[in-house]
Amino acid sequence: MTQEKFDVIVVGAGPSGNAAAYTAAKAGLSVLQIERGEYPGSKNVQGAILYSDALERIIPDFREDAPLERHIIEQRMWMLDDTSFVGTHYRSEDYNKPPYNRYTIIRAQFDKWFSSKVREAGALVVCETTVEELLLDGQRVIGVRCDRLGGDVFADVVILADGVNSTLARKAGFHGEIAAGNVALAVKEILFLPEEVIQQRFNLKEEEGVVIELLGTVTDGMVGTGFLYTNKDSLTIGVGCMLSDFKANPNRTSPYTLLERLKSHPSIAPLIDGGEMKEYCAHLIPEGGFNAIPRIYGDGWMIVGDSGGFVNAAHREGSNLAMTTGRLAAETVITAKAAGLEMNAKTLKGYKDRLDESFVMKDLHKYRRMPEVLHKNPQFFTQYPELVSRAARTLFTVNGVDKRTKEREIAASFRQTRSLTGLIKDAFNVWRAVR
Amino acid sequence: MSVTVNVENKLFQNRYKVDAGRPHIQIRQPDVCSNDCKDQACTFVCPAGCYKAEGNRTVTLITDGCLECGSCRVICTEHSNVAWEYPRGGHGILFKFG
Repeated sequence: MTQEKFDVIVVGAGPSGNAAAYTAAKAGLSVLQIERGEYPGSKNVQGAILYSDALERIIPDFREDAPLERHIIEQRMWMLDDTSFVGTHYRSEDYNKPPYNRYTIIRAQFDKWFSSKVREAGALVVCETTVEELLLDGQRVIGVRCDRLGGDVFADVVILADGVNSTLARKAGFHGEIAAGNVALAVKEILFLPEEVIQQRFNLKEEEGVVIELLGTVTDGMVGTGFLYTNKDSLTIGVGCMLSDFKANPNRTSPYTLLERLKSHPSIAPLIDGGEMKEYCAHLIPEGGFNAIPRIYGDGWMIVGDSGGFVNAAHREGSNLAMTTGRLAAETVITAKAAGLEMNAKTLKGYKDRLDESFVMKDLHKYRRMPEVLHKNPQFFTQYPELVSRAARTLFTVNGVDKRTKEREIAASFRQTRSLTGLIKDAFNVWRAVR
Repeated sequence: MSVTVNVENKLFQNRYKVDAGRPHIQIRQPDVCSNDCKDQACTFVCPAGCYKAEGNRTVTLITDGCLECGSCRVICTEHSNVAWEYPRGGHGILFKFG
């Protein structure tokens, strides 16, 4: 393999890498994709929700054979204290009309399927191979050094889809270490239950799914959320908080302790009862947003997906940004090749331009203040869910106290906990962060 | 709410191909953990419980159950005492579901 040269090398076979490799190979470029796992997906972790749109733009007929679990017809948002929850549910029959907007997926299966499409498109996919470092000629990336494959392989351009740790760009000095305040650490389990049991418990018909997002005491005072997703014959339950908060937590709570507490919460336990746990995963999620995105292109290289921090934490979107960045990086190479251009920084700026024009950077820019607001205002994850929960209990408990007095009690509890100016500031901050 | 958790029971469900004798993560200088690191946050933040605080203030690391998340490296900012690489190709955690 030595001295063999490809048009494109893609490092990593997650959603961004597969989107890039597929798009480039489909256009006739010679593509080598290198994956360190036993098979594509075996190193990859996600919630996992698949948003159809981003994949449709790459493989329009993906629904024909992609391994999809359930299409989502209902979104629940629960705020929990230790014994109760207050929730909103949005369920619509409109979500039951194909083509469906989003699905739960199991990543190990989905990534394997996506990779089979990449191979069909003509890319050479090599697994069980870790890329150790980028090969540089001055500042220019000319290839990669693998721990197998006979070592060094070369390409006009290397697309880094190597995941949140972004090891290769960091080693090459393209950016520094990730800040603990810019990533969330999430842990989850998959619990198997018979299909019919899931459908009964969540009020679903076959193939219909529910997602539940959880906020409140389940994160032990840290900025973060929990989640419970329905797959075909399994449930995924998890919780994630900012890594900096885990580190600074005075209770020194371990992620798995947090997960176990969530599972035993009286509002959650009946939903997962009897589930057979078959895997426990952990993963970092880049949640720093717009301001944390590093340099994403240079001479002979581009960064896509989690490796570039492309996650919209406010909307819990990531894999769609990953696929879109992968596709746009490949399209940049395709256009440049056709024009006979060299793959230098000037040419690859086209990738950045494409991203700026897409929903990816527009959304990240819109929510650029969100990470900071949430960091500085942990009350959204601690005091508010408890206040709302207490308010509901006060209001709905019939005990001979008149309703006006109850309302005053509730208003007073909010003022006491957050003060009037605090409440106004909070409202302003949220408005400013999302407008 | 007190819940005691044995993380080994969770990891037991996972599939690994351990690269025997070649740990992909190493503590650079064990003395730094013992003498300079007050919090030893890795011993409770690591989601696989790979880092153990021993009674004598030393920290031991066994990478066999590692989930390859990267948290230990990222939180060790003051001391940069974690030498962190991915395992060799095909080794380490092999997610069945992911």
